[in-house]
Amino acid sequence: MLLQLNNIFKWVTTGGQRIFLLKDINLEVEEGEFISIMGPSGSGKSTLLNVIGMLDNFDEGEYNFMDESVHSLKEKHRSNLYKQYIGFVFQSYHLLDELTVKENLEMPLIYKKIKGSERKAMVADMLDRFNIVGKKDLFPAQLSGGQQQLVGVARALIASPKLILADEPTGNLNSKQGEEIMELFKQLNEEGVTIIQVTHSEKNAEYGSRIINLLDGRMV
Amino acid sequence: MFKNYLKIALRYLLKNKLYSIINIFGLAVGIASFVLIMLYVNYEKSYDTFEGSENVYRIYMDYLEGDTYVPGDAMTYNSSGPALKEMFPEVLDYVRFYYFEKLAFKVGEKILEQPLGSLADPSYFDIFNYPLLEGDKKTVLAEPNAIVLSKSFAKKLFGNQNPLRRTISVFEDGKETQLTVTGIMEDVPETAHYRNSFLISYETEKTLTDFGPTAHELNWNMNNYYTYLKLAPNTNIDVLRQKIIDSDIEKSETERHNIEPIEDIHLYSDKPYEVTANGSVLRIKFLTAIAFIILVLSWLNYVNLSTTKSMERAKEAGIRKVAGAKKSQLIVQSLMESLLLNFIAMAIALSIVFGVLPLYTNIIGNELNLDWGFIVSFIPYFIFIVGGVILAGLYPAFLLSRYSPAKALKGKVRASTEGIGLRKGLIVTQFFATIVLLTGTFIISKQINFLDNQPIGADVGQIIALHGTVVSTQSDSLVNNDFRVLKEQLEDFPFIEKTAIAQTYPGDSFDNLSSSRGIWLPDGRSDKANIFYTYHAQPDYFDLMDIEFLAGGTFVLNSKFEGNQIVVNETFLKTVGISSPEDLLNKTVSFWGNNQWKVVGIIKDYYHFGLKTPVLPTIVRYQDDISNLLVKIDKSSISIAGLETALSQIENKWHEVFPQSTFNYTFLDEKFEAQYEQDKAFGKAFQIFTVLSILIASLGLFGLTAYTVVLRKKEIGIRKVNGATITQVLTLLNKDFVKLLGLAFIIAIPSSWYVMNQWLEGFTYRTNFSWWIFALAGTTALLITFLTVSWQSFKAAIANPVESLKDE
Repeated sequence: MLLQLNNIFKWVTTGGQRIFLLKDINLEVEEGEFISIMGPSGSGKSTLLNVIGMLDNFDEGEYNFMDESVHSLKEKHRSNLYKQYIGFVFQSYHLLDELTVKENLEMPLIYKKIKGSERKAMVADMLDRFNIVGKKDLFPAQLSGGQQQLVGVARALIASPKLILADEPTGNLNSKQGEEIMELFKQLNEEGVTIIQVTHSEKNAEYGSRIINLLDGRMV
Repeated sequence: MFKNYLKIALRYLLKNKLYSIINIFGLAVGIASFVLIMLYVNYEKSYDTFEGSENVYRIYMDYLEGDTYVPGDAMTYNSSGPALKEMFPEVLDYVRFYYFEKLAFKVGEKILEQPLGSLADPSYFDIFNYPLLEGDKKTVLAEPNAIVLSKSFAKKLFGNQNPLRRTISVFEDGKETQLTVTGIMEDVPETAHYRNSFLISYETEKTLTDFGPTAHELNWNMNNYYTYLKLAPNTNIDVLRQKIIDSDIEKSETERHNIEPIEDIHLYSDKPYEVTANGSVLRIKFLTAIAFIILVLSWLNYVNLSTTKSMERAKEAGIRKVAGAKKSQLIVQSLMESLLLNFIAMAIALSIVFGVLPLYTNIIGNELNLDWGFIVSFIPYFIFIVGGVILAGLYPAFLLSRYSPAKALKGKVRASTEGIGLRKGLIVTQFFATIVLLTGTFIISKQINFLDNQPIGADVGQIIALHGTVVSTQSDSLVNNDFRVLKEQLEDFPFIEKTAIAQTYPGDSFDNLSSSRGIWLPDGRSDKANIFYTYHAQPDYFDLMDIEFLAGGTFVLNSKFEGNQIVVNETFLKTVGISSPEDLLNKTVSFWGNNQWKVVGIIKDYYHFGLKTPVLPTIVRYQDDISNLLVKIDKSSISIAGLETALSQIENKWHEVFPQSTFNYTFLDEKFEAQYEQDKAFGKAFQIFTVLSILIASLGLFGLTAYTVVLRKKEIGIRKVNGATITQVLTLLNKDFVKLLGLAFIIAIPSSWYVMNQWLEGFTYRTNFSWWIFALAGTTALLITFLTVSWQSFKAAIANPVESLKDE
């Protein structure tokens, strides 16, 4: 088992009242799964994804990730954990505007203190794999949305994570570009990468092996 | 990894051009101003430092004024040094100087006047560790009639010939003495308060000076000597000073000896009869404060701008964190950026410094000598600058690393929530400094204006003092007669309105003025407590100077003439406690032994010493002696161009009467104003640096507004769609800054009042603090703020809201 959420609650307190963002979430994810999280706006999809990605805290419950209990880990250990095993893909790509494609890909490797020569090889490999060698010296602004997201996925993958979390990865793309990205996810999943995506689109959700529906912070 | 950081930092700076330029320019101006001011401050502090100078002290006299002793005279008796050396083992040695007001030198047919030189004891080279180029330190000043010349003065006298063992004639009041050159010394550095260009052996005094046959014997009567002591290392000065005061070597009830470190003289000493006008420690303190204010302002600017900017970069930090960056890695990266930025700023600052140095030298009025030792003494400041840079970079770096990535990526980190208190504080500090500096500038120019327009009780305009040394074997009376001839001939020139003869004149300060104590009044009382000052003049002096009489009139020369006539000033009356001028007029007082002096007139007070010294009790004596020939030019008959011709006509006439002589002239008004030259230079420097600080603060404000407007673009759009007018939007944006300015203004009023009062207290006659100065400073700051802020606000206010409300 890759990860397990038990009775997860998350809330904010406004005017003395608790508003629940996540309510009693129970979820088990096996390695190699491809899960789609669906639900209307404000149902807590992104929040759940952030909790799984350890970018956000929760208030109650247990979270085990690869046999580590995340809820009892210190911040530092937690970030070490996600750095090592999780890659993120965002709706609005979140590439650094000042960096070229190549440098954007290289960035996570620098933070992992991987040697320069090795970094080069890994970046070259990734550029090759995603067919974007010709774009390696361009800045994000010079790319189409689909191409930017391609770089975003490549960046998420470069450190060979076990799990990819994608928050509406096709939300800003047209349908053809979106389809390409989803095909890519499918392929990655077949290669053994676990994927959890948040999506609005029924069609995209179908790529996954399991669909989780959220409403007002609850799984339905 | 560092290469990577550096590359990204550089690219980031290039991408955000406005931000980078504002930041770099602000820092560069701040650092350059700091370096320039501290160069000058260091220069002023470096006065009189040589090997062993920490053990060299000057003796000076404290005078009893009322119940307290005040520093009264920079000069001492010829007995002071020898007595202290004999009494106290801590005093290893002394050197006495007798300073020549003017001495004429004759080599062959060449006649030269050289004002800066002294008689000196042979111990000079033991105490003042200045290099002697030729001759033996122990013997050069041992024999009578020996002279040591400075390198440049030797060159003036002898050109390229070897001056050693050559004979020179010197003339003191027409009297000739032959001296032999025994040594050549290196020129005394500019950073010395006593810059002798020649030294004559002390033993020569017996024949050279004109004080009578017994003057050179040790006495407690004539204090005409500057005396410096060499003390044993690690002497406790306070203990020694107390011992000197307690010992009362002179057995006097009205004065006592005191000592001060030679290193402190330039900045801390301003006694009557200083060798040269000294600097002012208060000015140095003010300048140092300004230097630090400007530097800190530029740092605040930097912190403020980069903190604000870091909000914008929260997303970037979030992405980096998600990609695996550790906190420390983000901090290091951010610091790298600030180091790079500061490094560029520092490079620009240094080129500014070297670029403006010649100009700056002009303004400050001193040549800054940038030698190696000077640069070494600057190292602490550089460490300070670099340390500040790192500190200034730390805050934004920490802030950036702190953001939670989930929030940052959702765009939830806003300028309005993070670090707002700090940024407000920084802005208030900047406004505060701006208002204090503005108030300072206004007060300084008000004071200088006040000094320029204060009636001085005499008219120094259009008056030229002619003086020179006559080299002649004639007797004094014949020379005096020639002067009268010259005076009459000069009066024949149509462009000369009046002439007069006097020993000194207003603005000449303590030069050519004697001080004395002990006067017997006509009512039988005597005053031994107060010092009065006296000089001599001839009858036409008061008329020429336009000095008004309260009672009586000028000296009367007629057949019944009795020699000893004096004119006294108002302050003299007050000092000795006589209320009505009539009580003293035509009565007799006595001073200087049993001499009887008849008071023929009482004049209104005039500012003989300029406006930095109060009017002192003054006695003008009649004496048929020549020092200065004063001529008043007729304004109506001469143009500025004609002045040159007039002066050369006067000089020709002078040389006609005195073929063997030197000729010099001084414009009285120029000399009078020269007393405030340093204050004016200070005012100018203050002004320049105030403008620069305001510029820096404005840059920061400009950058900050630019950013605020971007952040609030959406808000402005929504408000406009809902009916807000342009004015309402402008008010919304400017309101915050005005509030902060108001707060700064309230704090600034008492602070600047306190600080500038201290500066004003350095002047005896000073302008007052008017409320409008604060109002003016506040309004100026407000105007500058509006100008800086409104340009951006206005752009935002007129923008089409549809643009800003479009989603990503």
